[in-house]
Amino acid sequence: MQYNFKKIAVVPPASEFIDAVLSRTQRQTPTVVHAGYAVTRIRQFYMRKVKYTQQSWNEKLSRILEDFPRVDDVHPFYGDLLNVLYDKDHYKLALGQLNTARAMIDKIAKDYVKLLKYGDSLYRCKQLKRAALGRMCTIMKKHAASLAYLEQVRQHMSRLPSIDPNTRTILVCGYPNVGKSSFMNKVTRADVEVQPYAFTTKSIYVGHTDYKYLRWQVLDTPGILDRPLDERNTIEMQSITALAHLRAVVLYIVDISEQCGFTIAQQAALFHSIKPLFANKPLVVAINKIDVRKLEDLSEADRSLIDGMRDAMRGPAAMQLGDDDAFPIMSTLSENGVMEVKNRCCDLLLAHRVEQKLASRRAGEVMNRLHVATPVPRDNKARPAYVPPTLEASRARKAAGEKIITEKDLQEQNGGAGVYSADLRKRYMLENDDWKYDIVPEIYNGKNVADFIDPEIEAKLAELEREEEELEAKWEASRMDREPQEPELDEDERALLGEVRTRRNKLVAEHRRKKSAANNNPVVPRKADAERKLNTSNMKESLESMGLDASAAVERARSRSRVVKRGRSTLRDRDEDMSNADGEDKKKMRTSKSRSKSVAKRVGDDKGAGFKSVDDRMRAAKLADKAQRKRNKQAKAGEADRSIGNTLPKWLNSGKRGNGKTDRR
Amino acid sequence: MRLEKCWFCSSTVYPGHGICFVRNDSKMFRFCRSKCHKNFKMKRNPRKVKWTKAYRAIHGKDLSADNIFNFERRRNRPVRYNRELTHKTLAALRTVDEIRTKRDKRHYEQRMKGISDRVRRKDKSELQKQVHLVKAPTSAVQIAQTTREKVAVSKYTSLSILYE
Repeated sequence: MQYNFKKIAVVPPASEFIDAVLSRTQRQTPTVVHAGYAVTRIRQFYMRKVKYTQQSWNEKLSRILEDFPRVDDVHPFYGDLLNVLYDKDHYKLALGQLNTARAMIDKIAKDYVKLLKYGDSLYRCKQLKRAALGRMCTIMKKHAASLAYLEQVRQHMSRLPSIDPNTRTILVCGYPNVGKSSFMNKVTRADVEVQPYAFTTKSIYVGHTDYKYLRWQVLDTPGILDRPLDERNTIEMQSITALAHLRAVVLYIVDISEQCGFTIAQQAALFHSIKPLFANKPLVVAINKIDVRKLEDLSEADRSLIDGMRDAMRGPAAMQLGDDDAFPIMSTLSENGVMEVKNRCCDLLLAHRVEQKLASRRAGEVMNRLHVATPVPRDNKARPAYVPPTLEASRARKAAGEKIITEKDLQEQNGGAGVYSADLRKRYMLENDDWKYDIVPEIYNGKNVADFIDPEIEAKLAELEREEEELEAKWEASRMDREPQEPELDEDERALLGEVRTRRNKLVAEHRRKKSAANNNPVVPRKADAERKLNTSNMKESLESMGLDASAAVERARSRSRVVKRGRSTLRDRDEDMSNADGEDKKKMRTSKSRSKSVAKRVGDDKGAGFKSVDDRMRAAKLADKAQRKRNKQAKAGEADRSIGNTLPKWLNSGKRGNGKTDRR
Repeated sequence: MRLEKCWFCSSTVYPGHGICFVRNDSKMFRFCRSKCHKNFKMKRNPRKVKWTKAYRAIHGKDLSADNIFNFERRRNRPVRYNRELTHKTLAALRTVDEIRTKRDKRHYEQRMKGISDRVRRKDKSELQKQVHLVKAPTSAVQIAQTTREKVAVSKYTSLSILYE
């Protein structure tokens, strides 16, 4: 169980509490009602208000009642502490009053809801609701004092140190001003106020320290005076509570210097009077302020008093530790012996707790499962650790006083670091010491020399050479088989082959060129051949180059394309041929002056070109241009864009048809 | 310092050359040049790439599976240095190299055996089949010669007998 009282919700004062509940009702329930409504509806409206208010009161009060710890349920230490600090009766009463208020509010709500069932008008219902809420608020107003008290308690509790009553704890106690807080400051990281007057510490403080890898809680308690329990004040009672209920080691600090204003006799008297509280707890009596006064300087009487306290200290746990005679002395000022005191406390408590655990019933179960193995030596033979002989030798040399020269010494002798370079080869272990500084090739002729190193290389090499000779002989013997059988081509043939190849290559290249051109262009009729290669003259040429008479072929080709001429033209043709044969001038024949040259009417660069004027022509051209120009649609949707006319066609999307007509849905 | 073999083309990689790729299973891939590295990255199989040693060895282009290759072997167990042994090794290295060159040459010659016969036969048939590209068939030539003396064919007279 965690003892953390920091999470208790705030207890509001009565007036605020009432405001909060009423405004919540206003916000969370409907607010509009009219007299014209059905009376059941009006009743329901007001009943809801009453019930809702009751519910919120109930919730909030239950929360408070749950949050505050019940004195009987918490650890007795906390129970007593609550009693000492806040007065158990008062605390219980306040909580009880809230509990009653809750019940009363529930009762009121129940009654008024019953009454509301008989409300016959809006006015009456409203009055009933007012009465109900008013009574609820009056009840809470009456408990304003309890609420205020609980709020104060809550604030105080939230500041209580979180003490775990079940862990390992060192409880420091003693007269006021004996150095309890100083000890705490030295041992833990808690920063407790230390002042040279009594009751500086007014409540319990908690600090934590480590010992044997465990976490220890150190409680600093307020000082106690030696008087009857009834007369003790609240501050002292806190210490008494802690002493009474915590299973801790008690560290009783005695001020040997008497600077605290109490004599050793008084301190011893207090010790003996609160001794019943130390029962069943390990106890350490520590002498403080030995920097002021030594233990030896004490008078006989004081000495005997302290011895008396020490006798009380002897318990079973201390016996177990075995050094019960040692009297812990310390000085929190000079920090002498502080740690010893702490360690002694911790050891005692650990021993005590172990003892308690062993005494409990569960110990047996655990012990049964434990087994501690202790090996027994099988014989008397000594089995020392192995030391290498070289190490022994070197140890012996060292023992004989021989100076061993190290690389470091050599470095110092030969110019120091950065100048001297260590000789790594001198300790090589080779067959012959002369070889130590050989320069060995790693790479030879594109090979790694290391890959060839083989102790039997000579034998292998001899074998290889013998094999090679055999192979060579065989190769020589088979020379005749390798000679070519086929006769070679002679000079002329080779020349002709060369020509054939040239020609073929040309043809292939030409074909490829045409093929690729044809792939990229539309297929054109053969007569539209762009290069005009496929004409009769080319055919004639190529045929003749091969030594053929092409005249017949040419004649036949031309006869196809030759136009049948009319009489005169044929004559003229023949005349031409004849004149050619005669070798006369052609030009002369053409420039005959029998008839004047006929001139066609020129149309091209006419000004109007069919129109009335140039302006008309221009306008027409413009209009034609305009008519043909494509409209700039400026990214508007055109006919090519996809469009869905009806996004939700009814016939697709309306529901099932009924049993009736089938023609429409 | 060691001469390594290129993973792709099996050529020698001299110190300071090429690049080494270490895969996440710690296998090392050494490459003699960026060409081999790129081919590796393209996931090409060196056995199928014609210019690599692996291809040539598989396809019988180069000498492989010969005693000569038993001399060079990676030795992972270090041997203590011995001067005489090293001398012998260096001498053997030279001899082995000479013998290997000879065997390479013989291998090549063996491989090329009969190839000139094939080439000659091919040339002959080519000439026979394609002579018409530059020369008209014999019958046509003869007609041309009788009808017209225009074209000189004397250049190939010897052939006219051949193609009768």
